[in-house]
Amino acid sequence: MTVPWVEALPWTVVLPLVGAALTPAVAARRPRVAGYWAWGVLLVTTALASGLVVELALRGPFSYALGGWAAPYGIELRFDHFSAWVLPLAALFVVIVPFSWRYLDHVMPAGRLPAFYALLLLNCGGMIGFCVTGDLFNLFVFTEVVALSSYALVAVGGRGLAAYAALKYLFIGAVSSLLMLFAVAQLFVMTGSLNMADVAARLAELGPGVPVMVAFAALAVSFMVKAAMFPVHVWLPDAHAIAPSPVSAVLSGMVVKIGIVGMLRVYQIYYGAGVLELGPFNQALVWLGAISIVMGAFFAVFQDDIKLMLAYSTISNIGYIVLGLGLASPYAVIGASVHVFNHALIKATLFLAAGAIIHQTGYRTLSDLRGVARSMPQTAAAMAVGAVSIVGLPPTAGFVCKWFIALGAFEANQAPFGFALVFGALFIFIYYIRMVNAFYFQQPVHAAVAEARDVPLSMRGPIVLLATLCLILGVLGGIPLSFVEPAVLDLLPAWGP
Amino acid sequence: MTGDAVAGAAFTAASWWPFAAVALPLVGVAVGAIGEHAPGRWKGVTLLALGAATFAVTLAVVPGVLAGRTYEVFVLRMTTQLWLTLRIDAVGAAYAATVAGLGLLALVYSFGYLPRGPRRARYFAILMACLACTLGVAYAGNLLTFLIFYEAFSVLTYALVVHEQTPAALAAGVKYIAYILVGGSLVLAGVLLSFFLAGDLTFAAGGMLPADAPTGQLLAAFWCFVAGFGVKAALVPLHGWVPDAHPAAPAPFSAVLSGVMVAAGAFGILRVVFDVFGVALVRELGAAPWLAGVAALTVLFGAVMALSQDDLKRRLAYSTISQMGYLTLAIALLGAGATAGALVHLVHHAFMKGTLFFCAGLWIHGTGHRRLSQLRGVGARMPLTTAAFTLAAFGMIGMPPLSGFVSKWWLGVGMLEVDAPLALVVLLAGALLAAAYLLPVVYLAYFAPPLPTPLAGAGVATAASGPAPATAWGAGGRRAEAAASMLVPTLVAAALTLVLGLGSLLPGFPLELARAATRAWFGGG
Amino acid sequence: MEVVDARVILAPTVSFLCAALVFATGRSVFWRRFWTFLAATIKMGLVLSMLPGTLRGVVYTYQFVEFTPGIGIGFRADAYGMFFSLVSSTLWVLTTIYAIGYMQGDKDRVRFFGFFALCVSTTVGVSFAENLLTFFLFYETLTICTYPLVVHAETPEALRAGRIYLTYTLIGGGFALVGAIMTLNVAGTLTLAHPGILSGDAGFGTLLVIFLCLIIGFGVKAGIMPLHGWLPIAMVAPTPVSALLHAVAVVKVGAFGVTRVIYNVFGVELLQQLGFATPLAWLAAFTILAGSTIALTQDHLKRRLAYSTISQLSYIVLGAALLTPLAATAAIIHVANQAFAKITMFFVVGAITKTTGKKYVSELDGIGARMPWSMAAFTIAALSFVGVPLFAGFITKWYLALGALQADAWWFVLVMIVSSLLNAGYWFPIIHRAYFRTAQEPWPPPPPGRRLETHKTLLIPILICAAYVLLLGVTAEVPGMPFSVAQVAVERAFGLPGVTP
Repeated sequence: MTVPWVEALPWTVVLPLVGAALTPAVAARRPRVAGYWAWGVLLVTTALASGLVVELALRGPFSYALGGWAAPYGIELRFDHFSAWVLPLAALFVVIVPFSWRYLDHVMPAGRLPAFYALLLLNCGGMIGFCVTGDLFNLFVFTEVVALSSYALVAVGGRGLAAYAALKYLFIGAVSSLLMLFAVAQLFVMTGSLNMADVAARLAELGPGVPVMVAFAALAVSFMVKAAMFPVHVWLPDAHAIAPSPVSAVLSGMVVKIGIVGMLRVYQIYYGAGVLELGPFNQALVWLGAISIVMGAFFAVFQDDIKLMLAYSTISNIGYIVLGLGLASPYAVIGASVHVFNHALIKATLFLAAGAIIHQTGYRTLSDLRGVARSMPQTAAAMAVGAVSIVGLPPTAGFVCKWFIALGAFEANQAPFGFALVFGALFIFIYYIRMVNAFYFQQPVHAAVAEARDVPLSMRGPIVLLATLCLILGVLGGIPLSFVEPAVLDLLPAWGP
Repeated sequence: MTGDAVAGAAFTAASWWPFAAVALPLVGVAVGAIGEHAPGRWKGVTLLALGAATFAVTLAVVPGVLAGRTYEVFVLRMTTQLWLTLRIDAVGAAYAATVAGLGLLALVYSFGYLPRGPRRARYFAILMACLACTLGVAYAGNLLTFLIFYEAFSVLTYALVVHEQTPAALAAGVKYIAYILVGGSLVLAGVLLSFFLAGDLTFAAGGMLPADAPTGQLLAAFWCFVAGFGVKAALVPLHGWVPDAHPAAPAPFSAVLSGVMVAAGAFGILRVVFDVFGVALVRELGAAPWLAGVAALTVLFGAVMALSQDDLKRRLAYSTISQMGYLTLAIALLGAGATAGALVHLVHHAFMKGTLFFCAGLWIHGTGHRRLSQLRGVGARMPLTTAAFTLAAFGMIGMPPLSGFVSKWWLGVGMLEVDAPLALVVLLAGALLAAAYLLPVVYLAYFAPPLPTPLAGAGVATAASGPAPATAWGAGGRRAEAAASMLVPTLVAAALTLVLGLGSLLPGFPLELARAATRAWFGGG
Repeated sequence: MEVVDARVILAPTVSFLCAALVFATGRSVFWRRFWTFLAATIKMGLVLSMLPGTLRGVVYTYQFVEFTPGIGIGFRADAYGMFFSLVSSTLWVLTTIYAIGYMQGDKDRVRFFGFFALCVSTTVGVSFAENLLTFFLFYETLTICTYPLVVHAETPEALRAGRIYLTYTLIGGGFALVGAIMTLNVAGTLTLAHPGILSGDAGFGTLLVIFLCLIIGFGVKAGIMPLHGWLPIAMVAPTPVSALLHAVAVVKVGAFGVTRVIYNVFGVELLQQLGFATPLAWLAAFTILAGSTIALTQDHLKRRLAYSTISQLSYIVLGAALLTPLAATAAIIHVANQAFAKITMFFVVGAITKTTGKKYVSELDGIGARMPWSMAAFTIAALSFVGVPLFAGFITKWYLALGALQADAWWFVLVMIVSSLLNAGYWFPIIHRAYFRTAQEPWPPPPPGRRLETHKTLLIPILICAAYVLLLGVTAEVPGMPFSVAQVAVERAFGLPGVTP
């Protein structure tokens, strides 16, 4: 009996959302159960998502009309190649949650655990929904779901600064949300539809004009903020650094990518419509991306706090992705899309490993953490692997994306950016080498570091697994590629340099 | 012949001869290297036997060579372009016999000369190795083999030059090795160019380089060779190492240095001119007159400098420079007779100069002095030695019927044959100067009153760097000749000066070999 | 003739597994040595098993994974790759023995031997790379894996050296990456299987940028001046590391890369058209002379060896840049000649330091009496560098000079002669001091109960390598010896007409 995977599509969104709602009830008596409950829900969601991806691989993109109401009047869920991101997204959650079970013991009182896991599920469901929806307003709603749950997750860390960081995040995010709402409304007014494919068709009929451009600009800026691109990146460092490490992993790895996926969706609409000359915009993206790369790297190098450094590194890596998108040549966009996934993987590795180290030793700065590799060999090794990956050295996952984006730069006749890309990453390696040196090649200065033991298996397992994946995907980088390629090639014929 | 053809040639009984000549001394290396642990007597006997056997081998091949037989052996193939072969021809046989003979004498002499000590083993090992390599040079069948053995013994010689490890010896060694390496590099450049031009490296009587090669490259190769070999052959201005190296080395080795090592450079020039380029090509290139000029300058310069030297060994060193210049001069004249004379001179000079150095060594050994001014009257104390010196000195000057006269005669005849009166003038001038720098020594030895200070005893600390006297002298210093091990070789060498001169026209003597060689090179006559 | 054969990918993989096992079981001395040794011997065995085929002209390939058509990870053992892996695998076995002896009593040996084995695996990966991507992958991984070995001592000096090393090599890697990407963009492929994949259509400017990027990228490791700065500083590493990595693995990988760029990316014809090779040849000549000149001034033994390495590596670059068959032969064969001779020297220097604690040339008076066999081996290696016939270095000198003459560039012959003299200038004083001077204070004798002058695990590799230097010089012609492989490489891999006259 073949499972009609199409039917499963809405469940991938509904399950986490419902699970989130049920969490307080489930964990009423024993708060820790919330963690296991969340994990269970996510496992099922992942299973569903994998089925969807298989279906995609076999039969191509498909859609599902909610409530049986066909587009363009009903809400359509659409699973295309960019939606395939849902699978690794859910899978990463599956890996991150076990880490949180023990980790959160020292971050928050047990009573808050149900709230935490509920927010996490909400966040996941929101992101999945964002990726599979074909409706503009839906898109906005899910964006808000993700955003709100993210603010809360940052704040739930509990310390004073957390609230401040969350507030900063909220304010800037609110601006972005308003812009998005405005754009969606504008498009609705112009085209009378909220279905993305339909909007694209109707825009084509309408032809170019100022309102079209304005809507585009609003959407673009809104997603840029979400993606923490220069110059609207200022919310990210504090938020990611202060949040509990699992949350940092989620935020840096996945939430931030919402902006990117959103941009891709916008491209799909506008390139489908063909009403706007996007060349200058793309070029602006290229420049902004390049500046993000350099600036993120530059600031990262000067940090002593590990998590702050990782946060700036995220800004830098988003810069890579944006640069790739802006170059608008096949290889570049492929590389950028693959990097959405690879960076999530690597950043998760790094944040979890950093979290483990902080958890065991109580220290967060490089100078305090000297020699920790002796006491926590596996975690430190994972951190080292993550460091090599994020710089983009072979044979790790980060290399594949860099290769393709750089290739795309040359393909698009923008050679200087190719050079900038390759050498920009090397700059950030300065920090990582200090880190590797400190962990491995120097003697401990604090007793807590020298005597620390490595984290328990529920924390170590995810870390080691993620690190191994970083290595394997360096060699087997073709797998994510094969998914992204068709989508990009579909997108691009209408895309000009 | 290509390497394949040579390799394919059957390894006959005749092939053993050249192989043995080189291999026997190599066995001696191992024997010599055995340290003080082995009983000295057995070691000495073995080395002696090996040296004698080697000499015997080099003599044994002479009749065959004169009869026209070739002894060839293919030794080793390194790559498709590089292989080693040995081949005995007339000139090689002559040179080899000289090397082996003088080497044997020096070996015996060394037994007595060297003091016991850790370096003795090293000395004998390297001496035997040098002999093996020089024989390899003599019997080399192609440029590469020549180069390998040439470089090898050049480098090994260093160890013997600095043997006594005094500051002066070490300084002389540095100068020596610097010169030699530069020279070796130049020879290598010449070899490379030759290979590049000819595609082969095998010696061929009459030359192996193609006549139609670009003149510039041919000349470059020629002068690289000449300069490279000229360092060893002490052509002015490349002679700088000679005056320092000879005094620094132990006397037996100075004899070998002067007698055969420096001659190796001239031998190299010989091979280059006749077996690589060929007479016709050299004549065409027009380089010969220049070479002759340099050689003439060397003859005169060496002789003049010898006049002013107070250190006996330095005086003899400059003499060598001068005498070896005759060889190059004769070669550069491109005449059969002159070349034959040069070859004969090579052999004769080896034994004459050898005798001179042996005697010098004995004097230094016996008296502790090396300066002429201090060696006055030594003839009374060491009459046999001084007599040997005198005989050799007269031979060098060219007094009949000694060997030196014979070689100068044939040189002169050869020079006249090619209408080179200037060369003859140089020859005679050189002879006169030789008299001027050798006769005073003889005079001082016999007719000058000895210095009043007692000469015996180890307490005499002079500027000499020679070994301490090995035998205690009786007070008052009566006849106190050195030990037999040192005296016998000296006397033998001196006797050879006479014998080679008297029997020069007999079959088997150097002249016949020289004539055989020049026949091959010049064709007839 | 191309044959698909798993051995090509087994060689790096098995060594990699052994490395992982060293990390896992390394606390036990036995297992650590076992896996380390196994990694080296398996690699050597696999490579040797492919040798007969290579001599017949067979090329072994194995495509591993493809990212997208034309870009993937593939392995291909052609004659040149086989040559390199032959040399490196032989030396690895010897260095493993040496390292086991040398590092006795040292700390962090699990880490040391684990990364050591990883380096084995990555080096063979470089030599068998089918395309520039695979090449680059293993090239950079080698950089990463050598870092812990360089900073092993964990002193501030070592850490500083490690930083400098990484800075140079990673920046170089950046250039190489850009070069590779541009090549892909222009040529559409990255394969190294042909004598040249670029064509003149791409435009002079683009080709020049590609050439510069690739040469700079690989030239850092190959020690071409002025990119050589890391080499002398990296000498702070333990001697087995200096020996293997800076005589064989890291530096040769750089030289290997340069030659691959010249012959398999650009190709002889294109380079002759463009004229890029001539400035490179001059740069190599400059490096040869400058490296040797600086070596003259170094009193620290390992630094002297380092500058000598810089100089000798450029022989390879020069040979490759001359673009003639004879010079190419010299370039290939020098990979072996210089490797064996330089490793011998490093081994000896390490043995001296271990046995007597001396590190400077000026302290070595009379050591020939204390360590005769080691100094004899050193002398053999030195004579090889000077280019005395019957030693390995002479073969290089001969073919390189002939190659220069073949290329109508006789002035390089002069460079080589001067270089030989300079080599004599800085090796012979060491030999002279060792044998012809008496020690200022007597050398401490070996500890009682030990007959040999130094530990046998140090001495045996020294002697084997020195013997090999002699063998290479004397029996180069024997089939199966490196020279025959080099000839096949020049003809097949580089597409140059044969060497045999």
